[in-house]
Amino acid sequence: MPERVRTDVGGAGAALDYDAELMLRVKEGDGASFGVLLDKHRSSVVHFLYRMVQNQPVAEELAQEVFLRVYRSRSTYEPTAKFTTWLFRIATHLALNAIRDGKNERLQEHLDDDSSDMPVRQIPDSQPSVEEFMVYQAKLDEVRRAVATLPDKQRAAVLMHKYEEMEYAQIAKVLNCSESAVKSLLFRAYETLRARLAHMA
Amino acid sequence: MRCPIDTRENAEFLLAYCSRKLDAASAAILEDHIRICPACREFARGQQAVWEALDVWEAAPVSPDFDRRLYQRIEKEVSWWDLLMRPFRPLRFRQGLPIAAAAGLVIVAGILLERPAAVPSANSPQSAQVDVVAPDQAEHALQEMEMMREFNRLVHSDAAEPKM
Repeated sequence: MPERVRTDVGGAGAALDYDAELMLRVKEGDGASFGVLLDKHRSSVVHFLYRMVQNQPVAEELAQEVFLRVYRSRSTYEPTAKFTTWLFRIATHLALNAIRDGKNERLQEHLDDDSSDMPVRQIPDSQPSVEEFMVYQAKLDEVRRAVATLPDKQRAAVLMHKYEEMEYAQIAKVLNCSESAVKSLLFRAYETLRARLAHMA
Repeated sequence: MRCPIDTRENAEFLLAYCSRKLDAASAAILEDHIRICPACREFARGQQAVWEALDVWEAAPVSPDFDRRLYQRIEKEVSWWDLLMRPFRPLRFRQGLPIAAAAGLVIVAGILLERPAAVPSANSPQSAQVDVVAPDQAEHALQEMEMMREFNRLVHSDAAEPKM
């Protein structure tokens, strides 16, 4: 849980989340606070973008752009929402643009390749057998394909709901829609995923 | 309990249950219902499978040079103010230089760069308009320079220690 910090910035002693407090310090010229935010959110942003575009180099390039935009916006930053809401709004916007700009055509090719983008699963304490590894790879391919078939916004909603554990309200703010729209997106997305992945039970 | 699968809105209870976000009391009530409702039982089974399948999808670690590349991109972001201040960098501002002295230097530079008209025309307004740089802009420039120094330090220390 993020720390809650009371500050006079923002008027009348309003409570801010710790990330927003750090961003306000960045606004005042504190470069080290930007480093703290980067350390804290680098992985989650890259991983979210990776699952959106399913290409690690593209995901890192987009993640760099996310943090670059955060840095550029420092002088006009106002904590009107949670910092992660703002961060993932930028990330989602860039991911959706990248997908619509046709990068997804390249990305889809990778799903059929024996791509080195895919992480090697770390199984502690034992080496997987060849059979276990192949079963794992087959499962992974199936999951990636299933997620890739989801429409862009459904995909983003599922990834935020499942991997970032965001509540409906926050996802709604990221996607700039209503909470009921988010529930609808998730319902349809999980319905599709159940149809494709339920046999893996 | 009314069957949650009857309405799409209520299906969120089943989703929350499958993702283990439902409170214990509500989860117990739902489990009692699932025992007698084939539709909800099937939904829960399928959703549980989806959840476990998605767990298989681990993301690769971030490249060790991610931060270094980002800071290099940030350094390349040259603001118009940075371009204006560049000729004065060899003067080596000391950190303790009062803001007033820095603002004075910039104002002098502004006056030198913007020369008023020698003979005002008969129709032009009597007051000459001179663009000067406000002290807050000078402060902003000093903050920019301080941040650049900080980033330089972080880039060099980051090059020595690769990150995940």
